[in-house]
Amino acid sequence: MRIVIALAWIGMFATGCAQPAKHPVGFLDKLSDYGFFTGQLKELSPSPRVHPYELATPLFTDYTVKRRFIVLPEGNTMQYTDTGSLGFPDGTYLIKNFAYRDSLGKEVLLETRLLHKDVADGKWKVMNYKWNAEQTEAVKWVAGAQVPITLTDDSGNRIPTHYVIPNTNDCKRCHASGGTLIPIGPKARNVNYQGQLEKWAASGIIQGVPDASKRVPFPVWNDSVHFTVNERARAYLDVNCAHCHTKGGDADNTGLFLEYGQQAPARLGVLKGPVSAGNGAGGLDYDVVPGNPEASILHYRMNSNEPGTAMPELARTVTHREGVALIAEWIRQLPR
Amino acid sequence: MKYYSSLLALAMIAACGTPEKPPVDGYKQTLVFSPGEESKITEAFLTLTDSSAIELKEGTYKFNNLSLVQLKHIRISGAGSGKTILDFSAQTQGGEGIRVAELKGFTISGMTIRESKGDLLKVNKSEDVVIRDVHAIWAVADSTSGGYGIYPVLCNNVLVEDCYAEGASDAGIYVGQSNKAIVRKSKAYKNVAGCEIENTTNAEVYDNEFYGNTAGFLVFDLPDLSQRGGQVKAYNNNIHDNNERNFAKSGSFGTTWGVGNAAPGCGIIIQATSDVEIYNNKIINNNSAAIALVSGFFVDAKAGEKINASYFPVSKNIYIHNNTIEMGAAFPEAAYKHHTGQILVGIEKAIGKRIPPIVYDGISTNVITQEKKINPDSICIQQPGENLFVNADGMNIGTPAWKPGTDMQPFICK
Repeated sequence: MRIVIALAWIGMFATGCAQPAKHPVGFLDKLSDYGFFTGQLKELSPSPRVHPYELATPLFTDYTVKRRFIVLPEGNTMQYTDTGSLGFPDGTYLIKNFAYRDSLGKEVLLETRLLHKDVADGKWKVMNYKWNAEQTEAVKWVAGAQVPITLTDDSGNRIPTHYVIPNTNDCKRCHASGGTLIPIGPKARNVNYQGQLEKWAASGIIQGVPDASKRVPFPVWNDSVHFTVNERARAYLDVNCAHCHTKGGDADNTGLFLEYGQQAPARLGVLKGPVSAGNGAGGLDYDVVPGNPEASILHYRMNSNEPGTAMPELARTVTHREGVALIAEWIRQLPR
Repeated sequence: MKYYSSLLALAMIAACGTPEKPPVDGYKQTLVFSPGEESKITEAFLTLTDSSAIELKEGTYKFNNLSLVQLKHIRISGAGSGKTILDFSAQTQGGEGIRVAELKGFTISGMTIRESKGDLLKVNKSEDVVIRDVHAIWAVADSTSGGYGIYPVLCNNVLVEDCYAEGASDAGIYVGQSNKAIVRKSKAYKNVAGCEIENTTNAEVYDNEFYGNTAGFLVFDLPDLSQRGGQVKAYNNNIHDNNERNFAKSGSFGTTWGVGNAAPGCGIIIQATSDVEIYNNKIINNNSAAIALVSGFFVDAKAGEKINASYFPVSKNIYIHNNTIEMGAAFPEAAYKHHTGQILVGIEKAIGKRIPPIVYDGISTNVITQEKKINPDSICIQQPGENLFVNADGMNIGTPAWKPGTDMQPFICK
């Protein structure tokens, strides 16, 4: 009996160590533990309840190739919402895999980010998984990392950089809204793309999708055939900036709010002075000077890779030249 | 069984890599670290749970950056400023050395933090914040320094005490868009602005020493932000010898709006804010202006277009009394090279005698209402001495009609 008790005590101590909780409830140690994918893990072939999706306009992350999935708990469906993120049931996982194209153009997985809506409290939680060099597994990774890589950009240029895997507080930084965590990417309007909503509705995994005529398509940032420069630029700013640059977001204090629906010129930075940009302002007076991208802080900071200047502050170490060019053109065309 | 228990208790202590103290001050756990354990510390910050304390033993630690997000009742403490040193010169990403966001109950104390690329300590959207005995330092004070040393913003109930800030290219100690803030028993040296209270309500600043900066102490409201400031008291401060060049990056912080406008040699600058009381301070040897009181129009002719519920460009209800004020005989060299400094030099020339210590831009709400009221903004000055005051006639600067005047009568407290 004593031995049994003693063993029980040992068990308690082994887990009750003074270390802070290293394994928040709900997140497993290895990506493979979840069974999201079948076959070779790196192929990311989804299991039956794992649904791939694409966004009309995605976040730029150092030219990485992203593969996104929604995992719904058995027997549950998503709910269409007019604004904001789709309605996801408790127990949902959102999966985002990041790979860079190496010098040979081969995709190499770097990290897999999970957002999980905890059944215990209905709140979203974040976790990250870092891929090994062998590309056989990704393991839970709280602390973030810098990974030296040479990536190939969209024009075939090879760019050496230290890719930054965010730590879990960095994740919260962008995903926080008024003190709670929310998904950013899968807003109804941004997944309203390439017939995804219709397909999901047909297979019964989403409810409440209105008729196509009642859904305004969200601009595709690089589709100059169907969308104007203004539409594309505003979509780009929304997706790349507005999770922080919004009321209740991390950059609330700046008064620069870049949501797609924002109408007030001063909120969009037009002839608005910087507040706490410090050297990040680059000696310039205004966030946006209509007609003059070179005089606009917005353009200056997107075009920089210096810490303290570069925007977005996180998850970008190289400049998105195509994105910067779009914003420059948008500023150039703004009425003076 | 007793025997087993004590053995196991020993085993438990030995098994834990991080020594744990018994709960004190109501914290459920205290984690103690030493230099060399930086990666463990970074991870502890990331995995911290509510009601935790972290203690950093004496020594120098090197970090890229640290962050705390969405927690309650957290304390980070060192062995004392100058003893526990956190060096952020390796920062590669992000806007600050230590970033704290959305905490309820946060205390940081007893350490020196230094050399980040951006701000050193930013506390964003938090409640019940105590920053005590924290020294925030950039050893080289120039435009490569980060903007703010100690930087609570959008917070409620903030106490900054026994702190020191040096080398910031904006403000050493800065409280922005917050409610209920106290800055006391602190020092700021060699910053552009020693201490700044911006768009903040119910602030008290007392028993501080701000010296050797471009400008000692600023109370500002800026447009396009979440709230107006006001109800700010500054007393028993020693604000002296703020005569250094303005090293805010040329034009950064907005040539129009920011601290780049602060003329070298200013003790206190009050801009576009209301309900400010300045009393019982020693304001000595700030040789361009002991106290400058200006409106938003002084820096931007279009300030009127920015008026809304969270901004009004004219400073109102300003009460200046019982301060000890002395100025040196001449402007500091740096004032002659600065755009606002040159205006002050010009005022001295125009009135034909040493510039008085209190400089008012004279731009009142009459400008907005098109009236000619005397002192419509309730400026009230009660100070002993002669040659105390100049109305800079700010609306006419640069025109032939410009005529600064030294009549203080309308502004003497009734």
